[in-house]
Amino acid sequence: MNLQPKTKRLLWVSAIGLVILIALGGFFTWTKFFRQEKEVFANEEEHFKYGSLGAEGDRGIPYYLWMVLPRIFPDLMPGPGGYKSFGVVWEEGHEIPVGFSKKVVGFARITNNCAICHTATYRLSEDEVPRVVVAGPGHTNNLQSMLRFLFKAAHDPRFNSDIIMNEIRLVNANNYGNGGLSFIDRQIYHYLLIPLTKKALLQQEKQFTWMERYVTDGKPKPNWGPGRDDAMNLTKYFMTNMAEDNTFGPTDFPSIWNLGIRSGKDNAGKQMLLNWTGDTPAVRSVLIDSALGLGAPAQPWFLQRMADLDHYLSNLPPPKWPFGETNPINQQVAAEGQIIYARECAACHEPRAQFTNKVVPITEIGTDPERMYSWSKDAAAEANRRVKQMGIERPPMVETQDPYGYVSPPLDGIWLRAPYLHNGSVPTLRDLLNTPGERPQTFHRGYDVFDPVKVGFKEPLLRPTGPTGELTQPYPLFDTREKGNGNKGHAYGTQLSDQDKEKVLEYLKTL
Amino acid sequence: MADSPDQPAKNRHRKWRIVLLVIVALLAIGFSYLAWRFTRDDPVTYTDPEEHFKYGSTGGERESGIPYWIWKVLPKMFPEYLPGKAYTAGTEYISLGFLYEPGKDLPIGASRRNTQGVDRVFLNCAICHTGSVRETPHSSPAFYTGMPSNTVDLESFEHFIFACASDQRFNAPRIMAEMEGIGAKYDLINRFLMRYYAIPFMRERLLMLKGHFRFGDWEPDAGPGRTDTFNPAKTLLEFPLEKLETRELVGLCDLPSIWLQGPRKEKNIHAHWDGNNSMMEERNKSAAFGTGAFPPTIDLKQMARIEQWLLYKEPPKYPFPINDQLSAQGEKLYVQYCANCHGRNGRDFNGEYVGQIVPIDKIATDRHRLDSYTEQLAVAQNTLYAGYPWRFSHFRKTFGYVNLPLDGLWLRAPYLHNGSVPTLRDLLNPSSERPTVFYRGYDVFDQGKVGFVSDVNRFDDDGRSKDDSDNPRKYFRFDTQVKPGGLTPRDRNEGNSNAGHEGPAYGTMLSAQEKDAIVEYLKTF
Repeated sequence: MNLQPKTKRLLWVSAIGLVILIALGGFFTWTKFFRQEKEVFANEEEHFKYGSLGAEGDRGIPYYLWMVLPRIFPDLMPGPGGYKSFGVVWEEGHEIPVGFSKKVVGFARITNNCAICHTATYRLSEDEVPRVVVAGPGHTNNLQSMLRFLFKAAHDPRFNSDIIMNEIRLVNANNYGNGGLSFIDRQIYHYLLIPLTKKALLQQEKQFTWMERYVTDGKPKPNWGPGRDDAMNLTKYFMTNMAEDNTFGPTDFPSIWNLGIRSGKDNAGKQMLLNWTGDTPAVRSVLIDSALGLGAPAQPWFLQRMADLDHYLSNLPPPKWPFGETNPINQQVAAEGQIIYARECAACHEPRAQFTNKVVPITEIGTDPERMYSWSKDAAAEANRRVKQMGIERPPMVETQDPYGYVSPPLDGIWLRAPYLHNGSVPTLRDLLNTPGERPQTFHRGYDVFDPVKVGFKEPLLRPTGPTGELTQPYPLFDTREKGNGNKGHAYGTQLSDQDKEKVLEYLKTL
Repeated sequence: MADSPDQPAKNRHRKWRIVLLVIVALLAIGFSYLAWRFTRDDPVTYTDPEEHFKYGSTGGERESGIPYWIWKVLPKMFPEYLPGKAYTAGTEYISLGFLYEPGKDLPIGASRRNTQGVDRVFLNCAICHTGSVRETPHSSPAFYTGMPSNTVDLESFEHFIFACASDQRFNAPRIMAEMEGIGAKYDLINRFLMRYYAIPFMRERLLMLKGHFRFGDWEPDAGPGRTDTFNPAKTLLEFPLEKLETRELVGLCDLPSIWLQGPRKEKNIHAHWDGNNSMMEERNKSAAFGTGAFPPTIDLKQMARIEQWLLYKEPPKYPFPINDQLSAQGEKLYVQYCANCHGRNGRDFNGEYVGQIVPIDKIATDRHRLDSYTEQLAVAQNTLYAGYPWRFSHFRKTFGYVNLPLDGLWLRAPYLHNGSVPTLRDLLNPSSERPTVFYRGYDVFDQGKVGFVSDVNRFDDDGRSKDDSDNPRKYFRFDTQVKPGGLTPRDRNEGNSNAGHEGPAYGTMLSAQEKDAIVEYLKTF
């Protein structure tokens, strides 16, 4: 084709212009939606508390949206204090709570990590700031209540860009040269991030409908409450397509320090098992499955992070009894307790002992069976297949038989692992040494003032609230009569004399 | 060329081109003008730092500013909502204790800025941190910057503007007419803006704020020279107030002096009565929320100027006679009893416990202010200034009150964190001998007891000064006693206790002569 020189030149100019435009557009898109900023942490502990698991794409809530949600929907929150009212651990000076990560993928986004369920706090009185122990059970955190808040907010008519941007503009906007969200960024928030997040939350809600099902006697499934989740149902509905069922398997968040002693073979060369019903044989698998549940994508980067976490948590020592000044351990009594422990408890609870990290059949242990029913070998097989499909190699979950009992774990740092039993149904160690009939029928969970005598957390008092001083209880009630919450079983040691119980208790403080 | 056939067509083209050009030029000029006008952001500035402190802007007018003429006309329209119940042209807000200097048409602590083509007014730091002193009821006042305000009743100011906004007369046509009545001249664009945007928006904003400040209905009146510092922070973060614990609802405290910040910074003396923040700049930004300055709107340059000036701003010297002999005796007692916690003197802040937090059980002063600050607030405040390098990160929950240096102490009456003890001499008495009821807000100095004249006998039942018959102002009756029964902390008058800071260690068991000596020495601070 013969073109006039003028036309040719025009075509060339247009072509170059187009290329530049596409390049700029590409750069813009990359900057605003894909550019990742590397996270830097002072040490492994900080990384554990605030590091990302890479779930930004799937679950990330844009930072400023996350920040203003409690300010827009205070009426949907359990109490004052923003996210703190869900019982999350929030260290002084930090912009996000423990278990939250803020990572830039285009925009800064908030996701959750392991520490959300595995960081404990305690204090001796309310006139103290809580002390934070990483890898401890997150007994204060009401995860379900936080999930429900997000879903309720997404349904609320106030969840619209106008209202949310009004609030964000008070928080961060570069209108007067102080820096902050530019005009373009605010448009992206307004027209993309906010509507997309709303959509994603509504979508996610559908993955949680099983949580709101009614159980057999026409009652809704009991609440998880602080410090618990429905672990195997979470796994089941994320990793398999199995039909929703009525099972409710409340699971007390375990401590995840010192994982090394739970890993591999015991002293007799027998395989040790993890998870409350011995569903998994390997630490790495538990970590991977839990992290996938938080929306982490299966990338090489992710597997490396799992390996690092495995290393960190396997070697992390449990916390020592910290009340040496106010409530010192009586070493002599503890020594006497150790003798009783060796006789009564060691076979099941001493690391790598004959029955430690093995399943004790339900007929023997007698604790609440519901958690067992929430998992099955079929679910395990299906989950294994899915994980393999994602291209992840990991020791598979046990798919040879259905759960038939509960695992007896080692008792390292047991003083901070209250409430006790797999469903967190017994508030203190001293109560656990009493016969089931003598254990408290109801108590409150989520309070972090420690009881150094009974070893566990104290029962919170009612507190005058609001201008008229109405007495309220901000901590959720735990009722052992509800499905899955039974406090029966594990009658070991309940036959001991009170004196001997005190001795055992004293020894347990030393672990 | 002259007789070329397409000449008329060419001419016509040129004509159209010129018309088009003119239209484009006019549009461009018009748009540039509007762009200039609506992106205007010109604070009234002052070269003298003290003038800047008194009348300069923190940026609060940008979002929270009240159009100048509305500021001027509200007291005329709604005098009944002012404590003085009267319109005083030129010194409109004087009955709220606002301080007016001769020749100024705004009080100290009010700043002016033109944003978006509208002149706006709002408060700055000086509103709470400038005080007034008179030697006698008949002498003219001296205004001291950096001194805690002893006259300004900020809460009554809030009540005033909220009452105006709730009144049916607060509507655009009425306010427009009234503004013009006192000389407002707005151009067409601003008239349009005022009528359809600014006035309705202001009303909406004020009613929203009124709702936010409902915590004030549950605690006793602040009165002049006091404010609730941290319940506003809870509303800023939209905490559901009805769900707060009752014990945290009373957050009233006395305004502090803010001079000599530099030496405080060097000694790392924590800010706020309970020492909940260790970073001066952060404390300042936190306080600036009270002047309407939000993270995007705060004027960092102007704030930095104030900050800089306050670092080594000296408190004024005691202007009245001091008995040197008595003062020398007092110095020895001071060193023995006070210096460890309060510093060697008014300028030397060294002392073993200076800046440390004394547990509440030990200091035993009223604990409401302490309890009003909670751990959940401390961590939620970490989200303030999110996304900026100066995001808050220094707030901490504490469990007592902090030992402060006593620089310029003579101007810091009434004393204790809740301003419950009127004079220094009273503070040296055990709480059983301190006045249970006294008056706040009066600015005549009491040279004997060091503080302001506050004795109930010097005021009539309405709170007017008996010594000062021309003065129409009603002063604030401060009651330190708790009332039994009652539904809310306000009904029970909680938070005003004058107990604590007493016992042998605090000098309250010394002889009257020794106490006089200490007071004499403290005048030198």
